[in-house]
Amino acid sequence: MSRQERVDQGSREPLKSRAEYPYHWDADDFVSRRELLRLAVLTSGALFAATVAIAVRGAFGNSSSGSRTLIANASDVPAGSVKYFDYPKKGDQAMLINVPGLGFVAYSQKCTHLSCAVRYERDKDRLYCPCHNGVYSVTTGDPTAGPPQRRLPQILLERDGDRIFARKEQA
Amino acid sequence: MSALFRGPDPERGVEPIVPPGREALLTAAVAIGIVLLAIQLWLLTVALDIYLAGARGQLWVLALLSGVVFVGGVVAIRVISRGPRTTGRR
Repeated sequence: MSRQERVDQGSREPLKSRAEYPYHWDADDFVSRRELLRLAVLTSGALFAATVAIAVRGAFGNSSSGSRTLIANASDVPAGSVKYFDYPKKGDQAMLINVPGLGFVAYSQKCTHLSCAVRYERDKDRLYCPCHNGVYSVTTGDPTAGPPQRRLPQILLERDGDRIFARKEQA
Repeated sequence: MSALFRGPDPERGVEPIVPPGREALLTAAVAIGIVLLAIQLWLLTVALDIYLAGARGQLWVLALLSGVVFVGGVVAIRVISRGPRTTGRR
């Protein structure tokens, strides 16, 4: 039974009201296939615009950021230890790790899954995100287990004697 | 009056004769359009993933593919709009 028929049944004077207001709700609710197609094409245009916006941002945006900043003295970070610091801006947490047998590496602490803080676990030789059990390689920053799909942004280092500088962050 | 039209209908006025297969064509266009929209959404997620990963080389290819789908949709709408409507409002 259509909505119009239901209204007519419930009304005391259906014929009079229909005569005064010949308004068909069913017809008003009707969405034709052509209208649906137009809506689909509009949505398609919006998706295309969003993809172009990402491409433009990717082409003209800078994939690396940060300036040369002193982050630690090498003697303060013995092999197997980690020093946490802010880079490239204050509040952007990062970590400098002295990996035994490899030397110094630095990564952003922001997990590429949902931005939780990643930490270094020396006994398991891994970078671990406790939020969803994401695991990264200490040597490369690549994800090795859990939900993360992208590697941790690496911070390029420069050593000047005992001093270690962060040069830039690279996605 | 054109040969394409029947005589006047007392309730609905002039009724156009629908070419055979037109309804099926329109339904197929809607179905294909929905599939293409899903593909475009997938392209967008792949583009975002590549952007966040820092490898920016393939982004323009994805934008181009998405654009081809969009232009195809616009052309399809224009072609379909030329024919008479088979159902619904006028």
